[in-house]
Amino acid sequence: MAAKNNTPTRRALRMASIGAGAAGSYLSYFLQRAFIGKAEGKRKLKTTHTRVARRMRDEMQSLRGPAMKLGQTLSLQAGILPDETLAELASLQMEAPGMHPSLVRVQVKRSLGHEPEEIFEKFNPEPFAAASLGQVHEATTREHKRVAVKIQYPGIRETVENDFKWFRTVSKPAQASGHLPKEVIDEMERQMLAETDYRLEADNIDFFSEKLSPLPFVEVPRVFREYSSDKVLTMSHVRGRHLEQFLVKKPSQKLRDQLGTNLVELFYFQLLKLGAFHADPHWGNYLFNDNASIGLVDFGCAKKIAPAEFKYLHSVYLYPGDRHSPEFRRLLETHYRAQGKKLSTPAYRALVSFSEKFYRNVYPPERERHEVFDFADKKFLTDYIREATKLFRTKHVMAEFLFMARAEMGLYHTLHALKARVPTSDIVRKYL
Amino acid sequence: MVTKSTKKSTKKRPAGKRAQNKEAIRKRIVKSALNLFQTKGFQTTTTKAIARKAGIAEGTVFNYFRTKEDIALSFFEEEVDHAIAAVRDNPRLRKAPLEEKLFTLVHSQLEYLAPYERFIGAALIHALNPASHLGAFSHRAQQLRHRYLAFVTELVEESSPKQQQNALSWLVPEAFWIYYLGVLLFWLYDSSEGKEHTLAFLDRSLHVGVSFLTNGRR
Repeated sequence: MAAKNNTPTRRALRMASIGAGAAGSYLSYFLQRAFIGKAEGKRKLKTTHTRVARRMRDEMQSLRGPAMKLGQTLSLQAGILPDETLAELASLQMEAPGMHPSLVRVQVKRSLGHEPEEIFEKFNPEPFAAASLGQVHEATTREHKRVAVKIQYPGIRETVENDFKWFRTVSKPAQASGHLPKEVIDEMERQMLAETDYRLEADNIDFFSEKLSPLPFVEVPRVFREYSSDKVLTMSHVRGRHLEQFLVKKPSQKLRDQLGTNLVELFYFQLLKLGAFHADPHWGNYLFNDNASIGLVDFGCAKKIAPAEFKYLHSVYLYPGDRHSPEFRRLLETHYRAQGKKLSTPAYRALVSFSEKFYRNVYPPERERHEVFDFADKKFLTDYIREATKLFRTKHVMAEFLFMARAEMGLYHTLHALKARVPTSDIVRKYL
Repeated sequence: MVTKSTKKSTKKRPAGKRAQNKEAIRKRIVKSALNLFQTKGFQTTTTKAIARKAGIAEGTVFNYFRTKEDIALSFFEEEVDHAIAAVRDNPRLRKAPLEEKLFTLVHSQLEYLAPYERFIGAALIHALNPASHLGAFSHRAQQLRHRYLAFVTELVEESSPKQQQNALSWLVPEAFWIYYLGVLLFWLYDSSEGKEHTLAFLDRSLHVGVSFLTNGRR
């Protein structure tokens, strides 16, 4: 670590991030560029943007906290990033610089009244994982249970608020033009602020732990409330390896297929059966096992689906007829109206195109086909990103789409990395 | 380092009842004075009020302290003693990197000062007055600063072998003092809940500061 930290670039970056503070001025620069660039023929600038985007990604990685999350979510919206970079950004692994062990102790003591070493039998002061709003430590309770202790960075709540104050200002043009509706920003801020209260996350864990029990291949941690607070979350240790480590061991096609199938099943079980989903499924939040079981971690971002939306999803998935038909249009219009919005022609076109060019391809509605979709070919991913970007460039986008897109991006990226072959439509049909 | 004054009696010694009693009164005076400085302000607090609050005769105060500035200084001396002890008495820090020790040092200072935040702000301004006993020019205040910075230098030296010291080394205490004042100001103006921003600032600035120091030494 020492060598990495001492390179001039690292130091310069650190310095820059200090200068910028956690509020991430660099991000402001980036987004400002994004919105200005949009107005002025951006295609020419593509190479420049790629460079900016790469730098941006590196910088975001060194920045802790909400700026990173904001960037991830909005990278879809900005629509100027080349597909590859966008995909990378969406699956960005959280690798923020860790807190000093002394600070970790202070945070735990402030929150739970004692230093971690007094609470746990064993506590590793070095984190084993970084999350966007905190970091995770390994520990053993006095009852000899292995646990993961997530500890929040200091002052993160205000940082979220500041990030959004700034962001509301720089995105004024996009808000005025209707490309970035205010309620989308509101929803994102609400969501991110909610993520800073670990008690809500604990509630989410309990919820999913109960509701996902019909799926035997999913492991959800158990919360230790006695060692948790709004800023510290102690959970049972979840078995499994992160995707990269899992792939190093070259798992068989059969195992990858099974895992992919389980992932898709997990996704649609949540979406179409539970009406609530783990909305931050980038691959850092999945743990994989050789018996094709999946461990889930990080439940900070869970979305409940409103009844109207739930109905809508049931009606559009595997839509059997012509998606250019007036009937399909009515479905979309009803959904928009339920949200108090009007379906604009560009939004309609984008949705139909999305449905035709992506969903019909990955999820063919014909019952007799029993198609097994091969996620190894990158084309489906670029299709997805292209169509999603098209949709997000239209006006009055709905906040739900943004969260859905984030969740789907995470899923598809993981499926692609696994090169899994999955009976997609059959799974969806099970839950319709 | 041992002086005649009673102030450094934090080191345990087999004290007689009389000495114990004296120490208790001294502590009571400092506590009462600090509470008044915090609530009523430093300027307006009189030794008389301090005595009343401590429940002793005004004359008794003068047996212990010459002026209220003396009381304030002895509070700062205790603060430094407390912070040094927090680093030295913590077995986990024995082999910890420099940043950890400095973090604990500054953080325990801030914790010690926290109940008297308002007074600290006023004292910082008061200290700028050259005629003040609290000021940077008073002999006793200077001594305290030297002791504090000597400890910082000690921490720096024990975490980097002598042969690696360079021309920049003499700057370390000076630079650290400025840094410390900066942290103090940041802390005073920090309106975040539980002053968490100061923690974050301390955490990150030490990262940078110490890496500058160690790189400069290469």
